[in-house]
Amino acid sequence: MIVRLFVTVLSLLPASLPATDDAPPPLTFEKDVRPIFRAHCYDCHGATEDVKGGLDLRLVRFMQKGGESGAVIAPGVPGESYLLDRLQNGEMPPGEHRVPDAEIEIIERWIAAGAKTARPEPETISPGLGLTLEERSFWSFLPIQRPEVPDTASFPPDSRVRTPIDALVLKSMPQDSGFSPDVGRRTLIKRAYFDLVGLPPSPEELQIWAEDTADDWYDRLLTELLDSPHYGERWGRHWLDVAGYADSEGYTNSDAERSWAWKYRDWVIRALNEDKPFDGFITEQLAGDELAGPQDGDLTSDQTALLTATGFLRMAADGTGSGANDAVARNKVMADTLQILGTSLLGLSIQCAQCHDHRYDPIPHTDYYALRAVFEPALDWQAWKVPNARRVSLYTKADREKAAAVEAETKVVADERATRLAAYMKQAVDAELMKFPEPLRGQLRGAYETAGDKRTEEQKKLLAQNPSVNINSGNLYQYIAESKPELAKFDTRIKDIRAKKPVEEFLRVLSEPSNHVPETKLFFRGDHEQPKQTLLPASLTVTAPEGQRPEFAANSDALPSTGRRLAFAQWLTSGRHPLVARVIVNRAWLHHFGKGLVETPADFGKLGVRPSHPELLDWLADEFMRQGWSLKKLHRQIMTSTVWRQTSEDSAQSERSTGVVPFTRRILTRLDAETIRDRMLAASGQLDRTPFGAPVGIKEDDTGQVIVDGSQTRRSLYIKARRSRPVAMMQAFDAPVMQTNCEMRQNSTVATQSLMLMNGEFTLEQAGKMAERVAKEAVPLDAATMASLPKITSPASAWQYGFGAVDETAGRVMSFTQLTHFTGSQWQAGPALPDPQLGYVLLHANGGHPDITGRAVIRRWTASSNGTVAISGKLSHGSANGNGVRSRVISSRSGKAGEWHAFNGAADTNLTGLAVQSGDTIDFVTDANGTHTSDSFSWPVSITVKSDGQPDQSIASVAAFSGPAEMPAVIAGQIIRAWELALCRTPTDDELRLSIEFAAAQIATLKQNSVTLPAERTPVRQAIVSLCQSLFSSNEFLYVE
Amino acid sequence: MQPTFDDQHNRRAFLRQGSLGVGTVAAAWLLNHDGAQAKPPGVATAEQTFDLLPKQGHFEPRAKAMISLFQHGGPAHMDLTDPKPELTKFDGTDYNGDIAYSFVNAASKKLLGTQWRFRKHGQCGMELSELLPHTAEIADDMCLIRSMHTGANGHEVSIRYFHGGIPGVLGRPHYASWLLYGLGSETQDLPSYMVLTDPGGHPVDSTHNWSSGFMPPLYQGTVLRPQEPRILNLDAPSYLKGEPQRQNLEFLQVLNRQHADRFRGEPDLNARIASYELAARMQTAATEALDVSKETKATHTLYGLDNDATREYGTRCLIARRLVERGVRFVQLFLAGQPWDNHSSIVTSLPSICRRTDQPSAALVKDLKQRGMLNETIVHWGGEIGRLPVTQDQGDASKHGRDHNGQGFSIWFAGGGFKPGTVYGATDEFGHRAVENVVTPNDYQATLFKLFGLDWNQLVYHHSGQPQLVTAGRKAAVIEDILA
Repeated sequence: MIVRLFVTVLSLLPASLPATDDAPPPLTFEKDVRPIFRAHCYDCHGATEDVKGGLDLRLVRFMQKGGESGAVIAPGVPGESYLLDRLQNGEMPPGEHRVPDAEIEIIERWIAAGAKTARPEPETISPGLGLTLEERSFWSFLPIQRPEVPDTASFPPDSRVRTPIDALVLKSMPQDSGFSPDVGRRTLIKRAYFDLVGLPPSPEELQIWAEDTADDWYDRLLTELLDSPHYGERWGRHWLDVAGYADSEGYTNSDAERSWAWKYRDWVIRALNEDKPFDGFITEQLAGDELAGPQDGDLTSDQTALLTATGFLRMAADGTGSGANDAVARNKVMADTLQILGTSLLGLSIQCAQCHDHRYDPIPHTDYYALRAVFEPALDWQAWKVPNARRVSLYTKADREKAAAVEAETKVVADERATRLAAYMKQAVDAELMKFPEPLRGQLRGAYETAGDKRTEEQKKLLAQNPSVNINSGNLYQYIAESKPELAKFDTRIKDIRAKKPVEEFLRVLSEPSNHVPETKLFFRGDHEQPKQTLLPASLTVTAPEGQRPEFAANSDALPSTGRRLAFAQWLTSGRHPLVARVIVNRAWLHHFGKGLVETPADFGKLGVRPSHPELLDWLADEFMRQGWSLKKLHRQIMTSTVWRQTSEDSAQSERSTGVVPFTRRILTRLDAETIRDRMLAASGQLDRTPFGAPVGIKEDDTGQVIVDGSQTRRSLYIKARRSRPVAMMQAFDAPVMQTNCEMRQNSTVATQSLMLMNGEFTLEQAGKMAERVAKEAVPLDAATMASLPKITSPASAWQYGFGAVDETAGRVMSFTQLTHFTGSQWQAGPALPDPQLGYVLLHANGGHPDITGRAVIRRWTASSNGTVAISGKLSHGSANGNGVRSRVISSRSGKAGEWHAFNGAADTNLTGLAVQSGDTIDFVTDANGTHTSDSFSWPVSITVKSDGQPDQSIASVAAFSGPAEMPAVIAGQIIRAWELALCRTPTDDELRLSIEFAAAQIATLKQNSVTLPAERTPVRQAIVSLCQSLFSSNEFLYVE
Repeated sequence: MQPTFDDQHNRRAFLRQGSLGVGTVAAAWLLNHDGAQAKPPGVATAEQTFDLLPKQGHFEPRAKAMISLFQHGGPAHMDLTDPKPELTKFDGTDYNGDIAYSFVNAASKKLLGTQWRFRKHGQCGMELSELLPHTAEIADDMCLIRSMHTGANGHEVSIRYFHGGIPGVLGRPHYASWLLYGLGSETQDLPSYMVLTDPGGHPVDSTHNWSSGFMPPLYQGTVLRPQEPRILNLDAPSYLKGEPQRQNLEFLQVLNRQHADRFRGEPDLNARIASYELAARMQTAATEALDVSKETKATHTLYGLDNDATREYGTRCLIARRLVERGVRFVQLFLAGQPWDNHSSIVTSLPSICRRTDQPSAALVKDLKQRGMLNETIVHWGGEIGRLPVTQDQGDASKHGRDHNGQGFSIWFAGGGFKPGTVYGATDEFGHRAVENVVTPNDYQATLFKLFGLDWNQLVYHHSGQPQLVTAGRKAAVIEDILA
């Protein structure tokens, strides 16, 4: 019925019809002039019954009649229109405010054209501004209408229309536009992860999904992510922004902690995880207490959840429990709560109607107070409850009994403390009085000991003249310094006793006292000291068709509470409300695309931006409700569309310039502050995925920056959100610092963010942790690939471990191949022993095992200075089988320097006087002695280098033995792993080359300059840390395509 | 395959261009946004822009920069800048008026005359105390206000009033954040709003003193620490300093450029590339700006760098001048704790803090003047409150002090369009209350804005849909009488 009614109304409206010719439509009062008056004039000339100068500007005929100065317009003759004259001279409106010239010009043209109205003016008009047809016909107040969706099959296949969303978007595009190609699968997976869970896929997860060959892989991916416990964290954060979530009360300087707000945060996460239908999600937050039923005895878990949900209405800053329990502060809580409601669910700046009619939107002053009446019983400023008085304890009956016993014990000590305090006070007063002569002393004592309100004027004056006698428990320490620590001892005892009490948890709820039905008065100019008429609870007039405005019963018989909020919530979620579903789906769209269909998600009014795709918005809103208000179904609807799945790329190679027409490619979005931090933690492997619970503590570092306390690495949404102490890194990347709530995040791009990523402690620390992780997880790059890459010179270790062959005639090492697999204690050819190709080659700290001829094991030492080398060692072979082993020392400069055999015994391997130059290698070669059987050996050696003018240098092979960290192939493998972890992909060949060049250059720089690195960090490790940090700082990391 | 020499060479060249090229991108990006300059600040648009590009104010500015020497604790105006012969005359007798005390245990009604002599100074004949001999030398450059009024005795309450616009309220932007929002920055190499804290620690109210409140952190004061490194996150850890970090940035920017090539329609990517350039420039520019060793011996002597008592404060005053010289818009110096909070032993504690600050403060004005910078630079000297004319009784006369007084006190300005050699306003005969030409912190803000070419009533910031002003809609007026 409603829809039909509106259709009839619409057909009357010239403005809603397509323009049929090029001439501008004639100006009318209702459409063109009234909005100007509304913004500038009606406060004095129409909104109230008391019009200034007797001039009422609500109807054209009133203007012609005029006020005390006579007619104010002369239709057709602007020059004789007093109103225009006053506006142009700047005499009206009074004060500094001016009507913009462009608007005055509209009025002038309108008068010149005869001051036309859109339709005959009514005979009578009720007080106030009321709502015009034009105002009611504003797009967002019209009922949601499901548009006709073109059949997806009707589009040519190459247009890639997959879903109704695609059909509606494509329909609105110019003929020559279309979607960009689908994004590659890996990027698609990554995009889905960030959108739904706000975390990157691990390289392994990415691999699994990238290689899934089933047709329905994408559906299953979405299912898995929507089922992830992290989904609620990601989407909960979006909701907590608009709800204005904070862990402190704000308003006063003390910004008192809000100890139990996190229970509401957890409720939101859980509700989203279980895909609680959004109508219920809204209703429970607005009226969970009214749904919870009678609460006698211990709370059921359902009741607990319902009560927790009302925390939504307790998110506004509230200083009434922390030093500002006055009328202004109380009314501010109400005003902020309504503002949060308006901007989160209604998409309207209803707060602008708190002092007068809304300047731009059809929200009369009276509507604001009718809406306020819905919340008045619970937030009654004249029967106020401070935050602590609103808490609901989760104590059970048993807990309460135990607590009472502890309190009784406490009281004993408290009494002792009171006695001591009294004694101190007496002592201080007596001593102070001694400083005064009699009879003044006696008079002062008399005055002091008389209760404040009983003192005579004389006594008051006496105390004022001698202020030092005004001792109280607060300033007692100024007189008796030891009183403070002494009294504190009692406090400690009391604290210790109380520690035995069962921990009492609370819920932060909004509820109403039984049968509390206060009146709501309109506040003239928003001033609570100027109450006017009483208003009954009702919805905003403009949100329902004329004559059908829902009014809510002032008091419900069925409930102990008034039932107002429940009735209001039911109206919002009835499916007939024009704004709620549109606002919700627009927010979902915003978080999927970085921009809403309505770009001002909290303002669907006149100052807001019009929807770019009104039909799509309505289809989504209608579909959302048809699908049972399921947010998860909405995600799936959006994420299966081509609109969402297309690429963001817009490269020089693109055939056409994309991005000008909306949705011809997907725009890049910067990760929000929480996701940047979480992504770093995920990449470094430090992320603690524990959900829920009390917030993670914060502290100030010695420079005054607020940081997370200690090494806590939980997801950022669990960091304590203290209004006055925002965490520096979060704030730098635009996380909201709640005043009221956050309608939409800003995305700033500033040098301070760059400095934070370049030099900030958190980034450096996580880069370090990631490098450690990479070192553990990396697989060395195979030799063939290595050969094609730039060389990394100057490895830190002088030793390399490999195998090869000796040219027996020349006595030289012919080939040397480094072993690539390190078990943690020994080098071998691969994870298996014997290796399928290379057999038993292995080397450990003391010795090793050769394979067949041509696969001798070789420890290669590189000289770093010129000089003479002496070698001492002992070759041992233990087995009685086979024929033992042969060991040789072979210099790259002078060839074989020594040879020894050992079979079931040992041989000393000493030599002296071997000349070397820097860069020469000395190979310690052991082979199977021709027979490859039972060839385990040990051969620890010690090298002594004598150089001119330098002390002798001694190197022991056992101590120098090291794992792979320093090997080029390992470094390359680490680089690849770092890319996988940080950017969710392997580097391209070019990128790998670039990274290796970078690492090589940095290793060289660090070694050359002998930089002092953090403990346990080699130049190689530091280069990897730097690489990780650079990846963290890169745009590819900070933006999702 | 090993890359050939040519590959290597090209890569190097590319890398080198890389950093140059990025600079070009940054410049182009900045130029692109120059169009934004035409828009007067604070005009309501659907989108507020947040950047530090130079912007046109509402009027022709007199001042381009300001240095605020904040004197925490409440300098005793009747001992320094506001001679009260009546107070001296009635020294030791009871005061008849009502007084709000903060420290009741030592409160008394006994009037306490100053123990220091006042003399007339300069052509203008400004009367100043012998505790401020160097300040006396700049009397003809000073514009002294003797009628400041916050109405509240508390330190934090009054500091927040001066900085944020409402007594006691937190969460509002410092007026310097407003200046940046309205005018942008003259320098693209340095943060335009800098705070120089004291080696003794943060001032009272700590980091709230340089908060951008509800504005983005872009407008927040950048704290210079009292020792090296002086800027947060500005300095790389020692092991990355210099070449390693240059390598990091070069590598990063190559990655970023390759990435940006794929997304040509995304200006934000270039903006971020530019922001790394700025950050890198800041590292050099700030290091240079903070290095006072290049200053002449005469300058060092002028600021008292050769003297233990004045070296620390003098160094910060000198740094402040160097920053302003390099285009920084606003510099504020803070003191640790509250050295002017002379509740006790004022006879020794007041001369002590004067010795520390008098010469450097005056040197700053002299130095700016001799460099021709004073006419475009405002120097502000003052605390958040003053002190009471009565004794805070600490038993022994030598231990007496004065309690807080927000009813009347002095501050002074020099340069930037303030009328030199001027005394404005007055307190009552004992120096307790401002009685003539009372000036509030909101007037102070309005007047500063005027000199910067901004209309305090027109510079609007939209926060949560609400238009905000620096004065938060409280009564304020430009004090035209003290403008040159």
